[in-house]
Parts: sequence; C-alpha cells; structure tokens
Amino acid sequence: MTSYIIRRLLLIIPTVFVALSFLFFLFFLLPGDPASLIAGGANRAIDQGVLDRINARYGLNDPIPVQFVHYWQRTIQWDLGESFLNRRSVNEILGERSINSIRLGIWAILIEIIVGIAVGLLAAIRRYSIADKLTTIITAGASAVPVFVLGFVLQYLFAVQPNKLGWPEWTKLRTSGLGPDTWTFFFIPTGEQWRYLILPAITLASVSTALLARMTRGSMLEVLRADYMRTARSKGLGERDVVIRHGLRNAMLPVVTLIGIDFGTVIGVAVLTETTFSWPGLGSEIVQAVGQRDLPVLLGLTLAVVLAYALINLVVDLSYAWFDPRIRLGEGENS
Amino acid sequence: MRRQRKGAKLLAIILGLSLVAAACGGDDDDDGDEATQNTAEEAVQGGEFIDLGTFVGDPPEHIDPALNSTLDAYQVVNSLYDGLTDIDASDPENPEIVPQVAESFESNDDATVWTFTIRDGLTFSDGTPVLPSSFERAWNRASDPELAGDYSYLMNFIEGGAERLAGEADTLSGVVADDDAMTLEVTLSAPYSNFDAVAGFQLFFPMPEAVEELDNQADWENGLMIGNGPFMLETERTDQEIVLVPNPEWDGTKYDEAFGLPEQPYLDRLTFRVSADPDTSYNAFEAGEGMTAQIPPGRVEEARSNHDTTLDVHILGSYHFDINMTDPVLGGEDNKLLRQAISQAIDRDEINEAVYEGSREVSTGITPPGIPGFEEGICEYCAYDAEAAQEAFDEWTAAGNEITEPLRVQYNTGAGHENVVAIMIDNLSAIGIDAAEEPIDTETYFTQLADGACTICRAGWFADYPTYDNFMYDLYGSDAANGGNNYSQYSSEKFDDLVAQAKETTDPDEQASLFQEAEGVMLNDDIAAIPLNWYLGDYAYNGDEIANFTQTNFGLIIWETVSLKS
Repeated sequence: MTSYIIRRLLLIIPTVFVALSFLFFLFFLLPGDPASLIAGGANRAIDQGVLDRINARYGLNDPIPVQFVHYWQRTIQWDLGESFLNRRSVNEILGERSINSIRLGIWAILIEIIVGIAVGLLAAIRRYSIADKLTTIITAGASAVPVFVLGFVLQYLFAVQPNKLGWPEWTKLRTSGLGPDTWTFFFIPTGEQWRYLILPAITLASVSTALLARMTRGSMLEVLRADYMRTARSKGLGERDVVIRHGLRNAMLPVVTLIGIDFGTVIGVAVLTETTFSWPGLGSEIVQAVGQRDLPVLLGLTLAVVLAYALINLVVDLSYAWFDPRIRLGEGENS
Repeated sequence: MRRQRKGAKLLAIILGLSLVAAACGGDDDDDGDEATQNTAEEAVQGGEFIDLGTFVGDPPEHIDPALNSTLDAYQVVNSLYDGLTDIDASDPENPEIVPQVAESFESNDDATVWTFTIRDGLTFSDGTPVLPSSFERAWNRASDPELAGDYSYLMNFIEGGAERLAGEADTLSGVVADDDAMTLEVTLSAPYSNFDAVAGFQLFFPMPEAVEELDNQADWENGLMIGNGPFMLETERTDQEIVLVPNPEWDGTKYDEAFGLPEQPYLDRLTFRVSADPDTSYNAFEAGEGMTAQIPPGRVEEARSNHDTTLDVHILGSYHFDINMTDPVLGGEDNKLLRQAISQAIDRDEINEAVYEGSREVSTGITPPGIPGFEEGICEYCAYDAEAAQEAFDEWTAAGNEITEPLRVQYNTGAGHENVVAIMIDNLSAIGIDAAEEPIDTETYFTQLADGACTICRAGWFADYPTYDNFMYDLYGSDAANGGNNYSQYSSEKFDDLVAQAKETTDPDEQASLFQEAEGVMLNDDIAAIPLNWYLGDYAYNGDEIANFTQTNFGLIIWETVSLKS
C-alpha cells in the first residue's frame, strides 16, 4: 500500500512536467508579443528600446529552450514568478484565488453528493414511479442546459425578481462577486456570505449532480438485482439496512470515481460559473491570463490545478479499497 | 482612446432567455417610464455608491495616469487626479478648455511656448503642495522609457520628448518649473495651438514627491496612489473592486466657480465593482446590488423602458472600418472606385437599428459632433446608395479589375461586431462584391492591425481631448502608420500638410476649415475609411436612488458631483 502511494506520487512528476511543458511551448505559438503587453498594451507603437529592455529583464530574448530551462529551475523551488501585466507575485495570486475556488468547490461537491445520491437512490428504489420519471427528465435537462444559461436564469429568478417585486431583503440572493468573505471553520459561510455563495454553488453543482444521480440510479438498480441482496433480505434484515448497508455501499464504486473526478473539475474548470457570477477563483483567472498572454500566471495556476487533480485522483483510487475490500492496491501489478 | 469593453458572446441565447423570463415576469416592469429628473437640490451628503457599469469584463490593467489607455479606467484616474486644464462641456456643441489646477495659461504667438500659472494652496491627499514641479516630475516620469505607457508618445509634443523617450535624456528639456513664481513653462517641439487641451489629459496629471520613493515606478498603481483629485484610494486595488473615498485635502471651491464643484464629494465611498460578464452586471444592477450597469448589447430597448440611461449623451467617438491603402486589390488610386462601391453599399441605418437598436448615431464622417470645428456631412460616399455602389463597382470591373478571392472583413471577437460584419457582407454581396468575415482574437487584434494586417478592418476611437487633431493625426497621419493607430496605412502628403497647417493655426475658424479639408481628402479623394456611426452613452442607472448622474461627451462621469438621494 505504502509503495503504491509512493509510486503514484512519483507518477505525478512526469504528469505535471508534460502538461506544463506543453502549455509553455504552446504559448509561444500564440500570436501577440508579451514584451509589448508588458510595455503597456497591444495598441500603440512602442519604442524598440523599451521593448529591448523588457525583453532583457524578463529573459524573453533568450532562445526558447533556455527560457524553458530557467522556467523549470524557478518552478521547482515553487517560485512561480510575477504577472507580466501588473507584476503581482503569482504565488500570491494563487493563494488568494485557490481559496475561493476551494470553498466554492466544497459546496458544489456537498450539494452534488447529498442531492445526487439521494435522488439517484430514490429513483432506483421507486423504479418507474413518477418520482423516477421526473428524475430522469430533470437530470437529462440539467446536464443539457449550459451553465451560463442556468446561472442567468437563477440570477433572474432569485435576485432580480425578488428585487422587482419588493420582497423582503432576506429573500434576495446575490448575483455577483465574492461578498464579505466571512467564513467559519474555513468553509461555512457566515453572515451575509451565504447569499453570495448559494447561486454559484448550485450552478456549479448542477451538471455533476445530474450525472451523479443518473450514475447512482443505474448502479443501484444493478446492485438491487444482485444475489447477495436477496440473501440479505432472506436473512431477515430490514429493507432499510438492505438498501443502505448492502446495496448503497456496493453501488458506490463508480459513484466515488465520479465524485473524485468532479473535485478536480470543480476546482480547475469552474470557468463558466466563476465568470457568470464574477466569482474570483482559479478558473476565471486562468481564462483572463490566457486572454492577456500572461504566461507566468497561466503556468502557475495551471500547475496548481494539475497538482490538485493528480492528488485527488490518488485519493479516489485509495478510497476504492475502503469501499470494496476485494481491491488490494499495488498488488498483482508485480506478479 | 480605445475602449476596453467586451460584449456578450452569448448574446442570442441570453437575449432569447431574457425575453422568456420577461414574459413570465408579469407586469411589474413599467416603473421606469417616469423619467426621473435629477436636480441638484435632491443631492444629499454621504452614502456609498456601488458602480457596476464601469468595469465589465476584465479588471483594469492600469490605473496609473502615466500608463492607463482605456476609457473605463479613466473614470477612476480622473477621480484621483485633477489636471492643468479641464473641459467645460456645458455647451456640448462647443466644449471649451478652461484652466483647473492652472489658474491661467497663455501661449506665445506661434503656439510654441506655453506658460501655465499654478493655483496657490492646492495639495495632494498626503498634504504636500501641488507645485509646478509636481507636473515636471510627473512628465519626466511619464516619458521615462522604463515606464512608458501607451500614451507616452504624446510627450513628443514637448521639446526634448523624443530624446527622453528614446532614453537619450534624463529629463524633458522643454519643461521649466518655477515653484516660487508658480509657473510652468513648456516649450513644444512644433507649434500646436491645442496644447491646452492636451495638457489636461491624464498623462499630464501631477505627481507628488512620494512617487520618487518607489524602487519600481510600476508599483505606484498597486499601492495607495496619492493624487490631487476629489477622491483617493481607500485600499489597494484588487481584481474585484476599486474603492475610493473623498480626499479630505481636496476642495472643489478652490477652482473657478464655473466648474460648479462642491467643497467635498457628496459620496462617502465610491466602489467600482468588476463583473466578469455584461449580463451578470446587468442582473446585479436589476437585483439592486448596485446603482449603475453597462447596457448589454441587445438589451437597449429593455434598459430604456425600465431604467434611466445615458443613451441621450453624445459620446465623442467614432465607429468605423479602415481600408488598407497598401492592399493590392483595395488600395491605390486605381481601386478608388471599388472602395467607393464598398462604402456606398453599406446600409448604416440597418446596422444601427438591427444591431444597436438605434443606440448610435449614423455618422457622416469620422470626427464626431461636439469636436470644435465639426461639420455635418463631410463624407460624400457615406450614405447608403446601392445603385451608385453598383455603378462604381461595374465601372471598376469594366476597367479590367476583378476580385479573385473574397475580401476579408476583420473584427475583434467577443464584442458584438460579428452582427455588423454580417450585414456588411450581405450588403456587399447584393452588388456582387464577394466578401468574407475574418474574426480575430481581441487581445491581439489591434497589434496585428498596427503591424499592417488590416484589409477592411473594424476600428473605434474615443476622443482623448476635444481636438479635431485627435481624430486626424492620431488615426490617419502618416506618422501613425506602421505600428500606430493608422490601420489604413494611409499616407498622403496633402493630408499630412493640411493637418500640420491646422495644428499651427491659432484662428479657430481657419483651423476648422483646414481640418475639414483634410478629412475630406481622406474620406472623399482617397476613401481610406468607412465611417458607420458615432457612439452614445451606455450606462443604465437607478434614478430613484442617485442624483446628478450623467456621462460627459468623453464618456466620463464627474463623480464628485454625483450623490445619493435621501
């Protein structure tokens, strides 16, 4: 088990290296000259002398392989450089942004787990009931509606309408921004904060919740037909015990994989949600960095996302062993 | 000045949805029709103003007056600093340059030496005095090649500016500050009778001694910048918001009464919130989270009927397409008929109605009304005339010319230009001209154009200061070709001469007719551009809550006169 974990951790290194190196070289294929951006914009004639000095300062004159080596020398010391645009430290930006992403992500995942599993379970147990059919329709809808459309509609229904109809203040949810940034135990919104959090969290959770519900339903239906379920019932266990302890736990394997993947997705690619709700997380910053040719920010934030993704994948794999004791990680590979 | 705003990429879907939502929304939306009249008496002292309409898309890159080049961030810069002169636009047809931090100014007869007398008793927000040397300091800083912002080229107007920008001099030789006599004497590199207008522009705002303490001048805007304007930064700016509070050292009554400024700003706090998306910003506004919003494209009518707007304000800006004069098919004397056909084939009214819901004014030239010297109808080929266009095109083909591959009509993506271009392509194909759209990523669009990539390319320009020159020299002067804003790569000796003459002329009428003649040469003799429309204001605001809210012709809001209502 320990050797398995070590091996998996070591595997992260080439993953990160390949992903970032790819981005690094891709950047130089994009049109647009970073030196003129640093000098103050893309729209004016900039003195060649100024460009030369900037190129020298940021090492942009060096051949790309040399820049590449320098980049990695800095990166392994966790020095992510400074933004081309406003010269803020990328480490600082990363710290600020990732916390917001993580908080939003936690709530999206909580919603996903609670709603997704509960709905999926219910639909499976009451197969062909109205509730089941509704679930099928709603989940299909939820995974088909683009995130920004859902976000827009939610904003309209829960923020714009209450304001127009003059409902009391506590009924209004907020459409944009981080809010007062007040939290208890790191992730529990306090005071006004929940009003800012709730719509983006629901929006971010929507697609994955729908998928999870369908996955839980399918997986559960399969398990419910299994022989050991009949055995459990015939032993005289109550239906609740049968479903939860024998059924659900066995149905969890694919579900856990999905949740794990979603953790990565939620932190890294919440781009649309973060943009729609002006939530200052990693996703929206990465998009901005791409647009502004801000290489250090782009690479630094991507590094964090890739790392998070790889680590979460590892945790997911480890959790298999807990859900299904038959799986013995790291064994058999050597045989 | 280029505008940094982004339009809705998801326009059609969102629009459709908003219609559905509005239809479901019932009959609660007729509260905006009683156009609220803002009167000064309603102004109350205090309160927080939350602005959602200024920063839509990305947070501002720069808020340092030496670096900023966008209209959006100028809203902040202009609140943090006061300049030598300001523009009195109380008569929008005829804006006048009036002294502000300068008590008075004068120039010699040929407009080469300008003397500004600085007002006594003005201070920066840190309590240090505003002196002639504050300007000298600021200008030397803004022309520092290490810092050099987009607008630093304006320093070329001043003697020694070119050397300073090239790194060959440590100071601007043409600037002499005398703190005892409180005078600032500026020698120009060439006669320029409108330098008083330029001197009030952000690049020329003063700087306190504190700026010299920085190791890296680029950090100024990331800290608590010290200025001499009505507001100051409460906290360092973040990507989410910029928060201003009144500058206690500022006193608007120290300036001429004509400005009508209060002793202190009415607002206790002014928060500019950055939203990532125009529709979100508009939703937030409608949800009561702020007092202003930028009207998203496609929701103009909705905004007009539900809220107060600045749609009635004429903004000094032009929306047009440039034609590359060095292009083998389009450029040159031989292809003038083709350029004429293209310009006459485009239905500007249709574009204004279909794309902008009438929120623009169809233009008859590049230079917009409100610029001193403006004349209606300079352009002879800017009115939609399909028949004349057809004739011109037929004549051009009869001369043995042909279009071998579709003409490329270029625009920057994500700002709603695709709908304009679609109509243009339709119009052109109606007379047999084959054209195709070429969308280009916004971030690199202007760099590519400046490097000469334009064939028929979208451009837009907002006045930096109210001079005719700002639309001629900066956009079509041969100095601005090859890397500047002259995307047409237009180079005409006749045009350059007329503009240079006009700049030297001190008689306003004579100057106006020279500029008009120059514009006529560019639009009619050479047809280097296709004017489409002039901009109008684009803020929606809540007139029940705020008073004295309006945009000037420059698109600016005079925040120190804005207040909440009880």
